[in-house]
Amino acid sequence: MSRKWKRTLVAWVLLAPLMVLILFPFAVMTITALKPQAEVLNPTWWPSELRFRNLVEMWDATNFGQALLNSLYASGLATVGAILMSIPAAYAMSRFRFAGRGLVRQFLLVSQMLSPIVLVVGLFRLMASLGLVESVSAVGLVYMAFNIAFTVWMLQSYFDTVPKDLEEAAWMEGAGRFETLRRVFLPLVTPAIAVTAIFTFINAWNEFVIALTLLRRQESYTLPIQVFSLVAGRYTVEWHHVMGATLVATLPVAILFAWLQRYLVRGLALGAVK
Amino acid sequence: MARRLSLQLTGRPLPVPSRARFLPYLLLLPSLVLAAGVIFWPVGDLLEIATNDVNRFGQLRGFNDFANFKALVADPNFTAALIRTVVWTVAVVGGTILISVPVALILNEDFYGRDVARVIVMLPWAVSLTMTAIVWRWALNGESGMLNSALRGLGLIDTNIQWLATADLAFPVQIGIGILVTIPFTTTIFLGGLSSIPPDLYEASALEGAGPWQQFRHITLPLLKPFLNIAMVLNTIYVFNSFPIIWVMTQGGPANSTDILVTHLYKLGFRIGKLGEASAVSVVTLAILLVFTIVYVRLAMREEAR
Repeated sequence: MSRKWKRTLVAWVLLAPLMVLILFPFAVMTITALKPQAEVLNPTWWPSELRFRNLVEMWDATNFGQALLNSLYASGLATVGAILMSIPAAYAMSRFRFAGRGLVRQFLLVSQMLSPIVLVVGLFRLMASLGLVESVSAVGLVYMAFNIAFTVWMLQSYFDTVPKDLEEAAWMEGAGRFETLRRVFLPLVTPAIAVTAIFTFINAWNEFVIALTLLRRQESYTLPIQVFSLVAGRYTVEWHHVMGATLVATLPVAILFAWLQRYLVRGLALGAVK
Repeated sequence: MARRLSLQLTGRPLPVPSRARFLPYLLLLPSLVLAAGVIFWPVGDLLEIATNDVNRFGQLRGFNDFANFKALVADPNFTAALIRTVVWTVAVVGGTILISVPVALILNEDFYGRDVARVIVMLPWAVSLTMTAIVWRWALNGESGMLNSALRGLGLIDTNIQWLATADLAFPVQIGIGILVTIPFTTTIFLGGLSSIPPDLYEASALEGAGPWQQFRHITLPLLKPFLNIAMVLNTIYVFNSFPIIWVMTQGGPANSTDILVTHLYKLGFRIGKLGEASAVSVVTLAILLVFTIVYVRLAMREEAR
């Protein structure tokens, strides 16, 4: 027992500097968000009172509600679309051996390497030629496309862990392929689909470059762009509002992520071992 | 046994092969079409713009004998950004790996509060780079930033430090933040690698009198090597492409002194309106990425072959 206590002490002491650096921005964010406005520019750490009213004022002052809706819509569209398209694709990759399968794998891999920033001029021209600049739906569509490789990869790695015997048994009983899929296979992989969907949502939620480029008017801003616009190129920045907005935009996602992080690890690991 | 029996009784063949020949392609079609349309169409477009004379509204006016690329090479800002990109990538990836290996080793030990420690280490992964960079921009504010007040409160400095006012300080700070946000993903890969090492290897070597350092050098490190390789290549690709940290904190400034290729590219395209040169930077970046990707595919294939 005492050996474990000693290990615990050493581990935490060694991790402490990193922990401080990681938690520091969270502390800055929370404290600034709750400081009275007059104290924000004062270089003191602790506020004289915790002003939760700041968050309410922030909501109107920063156009938070509209940006939140835009973010929810773009991320939701991306998630639903990417999942609906990758379930059949991942099923095909997991259950069929067909000519060109290796090629598809490489295609997915390469498409994952290409990040939006490198393609941004081409993407902008594509959307401009379709008249889709300012369209939040178009942003959702682009997110969908950029997440497909990830969702197919994750889903396939989970689908591969479902033993084929179960489906074969259902076929024996005379169920057709579609029936088997619906009644036997999909219920088994629902948790995997849910986890993959949540990570796709978080990816889209956090995206910056595409939204920055395609959305130019405040009504169509997503959250990261809205918050960035409060900081960029301004002489006076209402930092307590900005930090309040980052806090409210970040905290739910961070909690969700922390809670589900081990599933992501497992899924990626399954994919990597393959 | 029972299953085989029922197969013989019903005499039905498995409903898989013949008529399902086109099925996998059909199932793959929607996702491949979308990915190809949104991702590969712009690649083709970029190649076209990069080799054409193009005005700021994006109209192409004919092949221009690679003038866009020649303009890049002649532009000192491009060369400076290219060199800075190499420094940025090597420093962030190298720093991340140097920190993540010991962190993963510690998190792989059995100690009290390990789950909490793991969650904290993973936290930066959950926050968007944009938000992280905005918070740091505020924390590093020269007059009223909370880092300065914390350091003053601890008695470490007397006068405020202007963290983001000069590249000499801003760029290393950005590298540090880059490392901080890359650690979670990297540690995750290493934890996966460590959990795949069978514990009896350590027991056996301990019986033969190997100390912790020898165990690390002769067991952990060699077995972790494929994971180190993958982490190195994947991180190189991600970091090389990383835009929000630098854009949000300094927008490549002051005076372009913290620009890397992707921020330089964004300025060329959307600030100055030189679409041809911006596309040329994209093409150069794509070419470099392609090399990294080929390395990655090779490594992944080698792993698969094992």
